Amino acid sequence: MENRETPVIELKHVNKHYSHLHVLKEINLSVKKGEVVVVIGPSGSGKSTLCRTINRLETIDSGEIFIDGVTLPEEGKQLAKLRSQVGMVFQSFNLFAHKTILENVTVAPIDVLHISKKEAKEEAMKLLKRVGVESQATKMPAQLSGGQKQRVAIARALAMHPKAILFDEPTSALDPEMIGEVLEVMAELAKEGMTMIVVTHEMNFARRVADRIIFMDGGAILEENTPEEFFNNPKTQRAKEFLSAIKNK
Amino acid sequence: MSLENVSIRDVLYEAPGPKTRMKIRIATAISIVIMIGLLAVIVRQFYITGQLKTKYWSFYGRVTTWLFLGKGLLGTLKVAVISGVIAFLTGMLLMMGRISKSKLLNGVSAVIIEFSRGVPTLLFIYFFFLVAPQFGLKLPAFWKISVPVALSATGVVAEVLRSGVNAVPKGQTEAAFSLGMTNRSVFFKIVFPQAFMYVIPALIAEIVIVLKDTTFAYVVNYSDLMQNSKVLISNYDALLSVYLVTAIIYILINYMLNRISVKLAGKNPLF
Repeated sequence: MENRETPVIELKHVNKHYSHLHVLKEINLSVKKGEVVVVIGPSGSGKSTLCRTINRLETIDSGEIFIDGVTLPEEGKQLAKLRSQVGMVFQSFNLFAHKTILENVTVAPIDVLHISKKEAKEEAMKLLKRVGVESQATKMPAQLSGGQKQRVAIARALAMHPKAILFDEPTSALDPEMIGEVLEVMAELAKEGMTMIVVTHEMNFARRVADRIIFMDGGAILEENTPEEFFNNPKTQRAKEFLSAIKNK
Repeated sequence: MSLENVSIRDVLYEAPGPKTRMKIRIATAISIVIMIGLLAVIVRQFYITGQLKTKYWSFYGRVTTWLFLGKGLLGTLKVAVISGVIAFLTGMLLMMGRISKSKLLNGVSAVIIEFSRGVPTLLFIYFFFLVAPQFGLKLPAFWKISVPVALSATGVVAEVLRSGVNAVPKGQTEAAFSLGMTNRSVFFKIVFPQAFMYVIPALIAEIVIVLKDTTFAYVVNYSDLMQNSKVLISNYDALLSVYLVTAIIYILINYMLNRISVKLAGKNPLF
């Protein structure tokens, strides 16, 4: 039976240039509810840019982006509303440096969703507990380790009850020993049915958690397949090269 | 050594070895001797020229002298605080104009800022003291000093605040936008509080300048510390002793401000 459900995230014919550089070429992508899509590819392939266009942190030159069937506008209240429905986790964490860990999680629910402070706090504590950093609630971001910061960033995104979360290389700035704790939280989210787009270099995570792998190079999606197919039978020459290059590391 | 205890000295110089420690000790001893010598020369010169005579100092034994100076100091502080507040509020507006996307607002703010920074305080004071009254704008002495001092500080305040806003990492705004916060919320809840923390030391440095600018109050006949000192001088014919004490009072206030600045900078939670 064909799935007629509206995709949570959909990109149609998306193009973007940096002056003469064509960084996104005719991107078409559709992510269903509960799906985990992992985007991999060499540096400069456009995977981060792709991820950031979905929250309009990067503008696009042509094409359309839909969040749960609604077109992503260029500005205004509607843009803010759609952004609030799609969480984002950054490579450099971007926790609000002047706010405590707890405030980092409560600020947007209070400001954007207008829920009471008390309610926001209670929910935030639950989320911090869920990602295992509830004991850090009163500290400032500068006092936490990278892995802890990233887990707080995930809790901050979850506090908005997003329809999907975008992960833009969430473990690339972490010490090796902290990567695991963040990936674990992400795998847990995936298992609970969160819709996710994950840009990453963690191939084991991709193999284990992804429903679908997107392979990008030169601003275009070259391959789109299940993890088993992609890792065992890459179709394109470029994907074969990429996979053998990381295997040899 | 924890990161919070690193001073600029630790960053600039490596820890001294035995030879360097000896050199430092010798240099310290020589400087102390030179400074004591200088002090002795000054005191001797005072004595020779008669500046140490009791008539130049005895009036400091009277309460009225100190009350008079205290009243002046209060005037100074009043002008400094009001000027500071005005300069901060207008500086804030100018900064927002300067970072706005509207070309017109941006241009107008830039012109006002350059005007404020480029014109000497005394010229602003002359304007409000001499020119404005001819056009019917007759302000009380307090405002004749407060407004020009604020006017000459506001441009610097605007630029200091703007540098703070620019120093806030782009990721902070991106994170806030990604959570669905509006432009206004992002600016007032995320960007500005951090920008402000960055520039507290620079703002306090500007308060010191404002405080020193208030000494122009004598031009408009407002009784600040400087003006009252002048009165004491003419009453007791004691130029040097009065200026010395007045200078020390100014130094103490500004030193206190600097201590506050250092304390606050050390407490900055952003680092």
